[in-house]
Amino acid sequence: MVFNSYTFIVFFAMVLLLHNLPLPWKVKKINLLLASYIFYAAWNPPFILLLWLATIVDYFVGRALYTQPNKQKRRLLLVLSLCGNLGMLCFFKYGGFILENFTHLVNAFGINYHPAPPNIILPAGISFYTFTTLCYTIDMYKKRSEPVKSLLDFSLFVTFFPHLVAGPIVRPPQLVPQFASPRTANQKQLMQGLLMVSLGLFMKVVLADSMLAGPANTVFNSKAPLNTLDAWMGLLAFSGQIFFDFAGYSTCAIGVASCLGFVLPENFLYPYAAIGFSDFWRRWHITLSAWLRDYLYIPLGGNRKGTVRTYINLMITMLLGGLWHGANWTFVVWGALHGFYLMAEKFIQDLRPKMQLQPELVADPHIVLHGVHAPRFLKIKPSSNFLYALLTFFLVNVTWVFFRSPDFTSAWRMLVSMFSVVPKGAALLSNLSIIKVSVIIAMMLAFHWFMRNRRVLSVAEKMPWWLLSLAWSAMLILLILSQESSSSFIYFQF
Amino acid sequence: MTVSSFLKAGFLTLILVVAFFTSWELFLRSRGIKISYDDGESLWADKRAMVYEPQDDATVFIGSSRNKYDLDIETWRSLTGDHPIQLAIEGNSPLPVLDDLARDKNFKGKLIIDVTEGLFFTTNPQNISEPQDRIKYYHKRTPAQRFSFLVNKVLEDHLVFLDKNYFSLNALLDRMPVKKRAGVFALPYDCPRDFGAVTFDRQDIMTDRFLRDTVIQNQVKGLWDFYRKTNTEGLPSRHKADSILATVKADVDQIKARGGQIIFVRTPSSGPYLAGEKMAFPREKFWERILAVTGCPGIHFEDHPAIAHFVCPEFSHLKHSDAIVFTTNLVKILREEKGWRFPHSTVAIQ
Repeated sequence: MVFNSYTFIVFFAMVLLLHNLPLPWKVKKINLLLASYIFYAAWNPPFILLLWLATIVDYFVGRALYTQPNKQKRRLLLVLSLCGNLGMLCFFKYGGFILENFTHLVNAFGINYHPAPPNIILPAGISFYTFTTLCYTIDMYKKRSEPVKSLLDFSLFVTFFPHLVAGPIVRPPQLVPQFASPRTANQKQLMQGLLMVSLGLFMKVVLADSMLAGPANTVFNSKAPLNTLDAWMGLLAFSGQIFFDFAGYSTCAIGVASCLGFVLPENFLYPYAAIGFSDFWRRWHITLSAWLRDYLYIPLGGNRKGTVRTYINLMITMLLGGLWHGANWTFVVWGALHGFYLMAEKFIQDLRPKMQLQPELVADPHIVLHGVHAPRFLKIKPSSNFLYALLTFFLVNVTWVFFRSPDFTSAWRMLVSMFSVVPKGAALLSNLSIIKVSVIIAMMLAFHWFMRNRRVLSVAEKMPWWLLSLAWSAMLILLILSQESSSSFIYFQF
Repeated sequence: MTVSSFLKAGFLTLILVVAFFTSWELFLRSRGIKISYDDGESLWADKRAMVYEPQDDATVFIGSSRNKYDLDIETWRSLTGDHPIQLAIEGNSPLPVLDDLARDKNFKGKLIIDVTEGLFFTTNPQNISEPQDRIKYYHKRTPAQRFSFLVNKVLEDHLVFLDKNYFSLNALLDRMPVKKRAGVFALPYDCPRDFGAVTFDRQDIMTDRFLRDTVIQNQVKGLWDFYRKTNTEGLPSRHKADSILATVKADVDQIKARGGQIIFVRTPSSGPYLAGEKMAFPREKFWERILAVTGCPGIHFEDHPAIAHFVCPEFSHLKHSDAIVFTTNLVKILREEKGWRFPHSTVAIQ
């Protein structure tokens, strides 16, 4: 089920009630586990079998990896886990893509091979829970943390419904210890959680679905070359839509967990105020970029094997990061562009070694993607910083063209419309749509800039209670007025 | 901020939100606005799931808005004793739904297809994509979506402001006086809300205000004229009509082969709209050919005096009182002339 649905409101009310009954902690954990399975099964019940399979295999393989003294057997177990997890992901997510490309390849060699499309249904959230279980087995192999003691705790770690289908991608040490002792939210946590849920739903339902999805879809679904203004407005609308959609989901997830007394890691820190691309990836989908850093970039050698290898490692990481988002070459190009940006940033940084400073402190100093810090020349003074943030935003927007376009023809048409004057380019958006996109994107950028070194809850805490209430009420009123319930989150398809 | 401050903020928020929506609801009701259900994909899917009732128990209706206005669900139910299932979609071709029913091996029931020629013989994606989206939604809807629909129904039963078409945030913003952008397709004005309220059975009913106020009626007439002028598709060629009819025949044959019963109905229109339809879609080239190609029976309103006399307030749809008369006579024609049986009927033929 999705957070923005009546089903979830009823479900969550029941879970909250059960969680606050005077029951033994183990019973409460079983309740949460069952609730998480119901949450998942509400999409497509049969796919719960995959979740069980991944949970049971990784629980036992993880324990064996930790306790097995024989190095070769440990490697074999790791390969077994990787094959199981990645195999499942490959089949469901990339099966059709691999077959399609294989078909193109053999046809290019003159072999007449045209298989029927495989028609595989993608289980919701498979990319997210696969990464969650993968990091557990890799951590066990490297003995970075202790194995989870009970199957109940491990199942709950994998399946805990706030993070299950679209993250934040949690690591065992972030969540498992929270299952050790009884937890319920105190009044403050509950109210903060409800505030976060309201904020997340406001971002998703009002801003992403109600205001921005329409213009973005109109422009990206067009088959005709566009007027330059429409192309840019459509792109900016998508830029806002994807942020509000995904950050809205993460905010809801954090809020829901908080209402139950749990803490989930932050996933977004005002990414459109990023100065440079390493800064962007410290702020956008933080748990994925940290995962890629720890389980891909650093094992590849990170920046420890010389400049050229650093560039190559950056590019490999971003290419695979792109492919993680979807089985389409457009996502690979999206990743490649980000890889190129990071490489260019590193190149500039290396040209000016003496000017390098420590990275600007963000809320979590441990999150530094790829070991590349923002170069000093990007940190001169606030007004210049703002211009660099706008430049970063502009370049990030260019990458969204590939992320949103269904194919390269559409992406190219969009780029041509954006960067040249198309004679008789189609005007698709109404003045009202243009006003909506302009106002929301301008406010979003201003808000990101104001909040870039702040947290929403600490700002809320400093506000007079009546002012907080007015802002909260406005969000809820607009949310209910929108009447845009039950549309899926964009990241579910990943 | 202390715990009590957060609590105070939460309580004040609750009070403000409840106060706002209570005032909004009371304001709308004070203006005489009645409940209208969101006729979106979830309501359509709810009805689509009902088509598996046996032929003796239910009749399925597909087509466009005329079926939704002209067929009075309660009259049909009381006269026939069976369950009318309304699957028509305003402004859209019935053919994607026909095709979906034809592919559904479990559908073997009675089917009434409304023929509005301009929509029946279209291949314009704008008149086809919405039925396709609804069919896709029906086949993919999740248990969570079904449950949400049930909760939503309870709320929509009681709250006027949950009319997405007219009182959602976007609908309210759309009514702001913002200048139209040159070259961008836009309706000259919104379709007046009084033109139709939607029941839970998916019937459209014109409000009393609409029937009283000729200004609102003229607005709707103006919209029909706008659609006519902006239609770029043109009239269907012989080849295109043949191709569409071949598809219809294939679908109809599949349903009939399973024991299904199908009839085409040309619902009433009047005034310049009817005159325009007659010119664009001459009966012998379109209506007669549908019946000839498919081998199905048909009821054309002009052939039956009991349903030939209606004057549509905006030239294209029946008012509710006329819909009751039309439905009563339609059932009579089906029974007496077309041999349809309604075994659960407790009402004697008049």
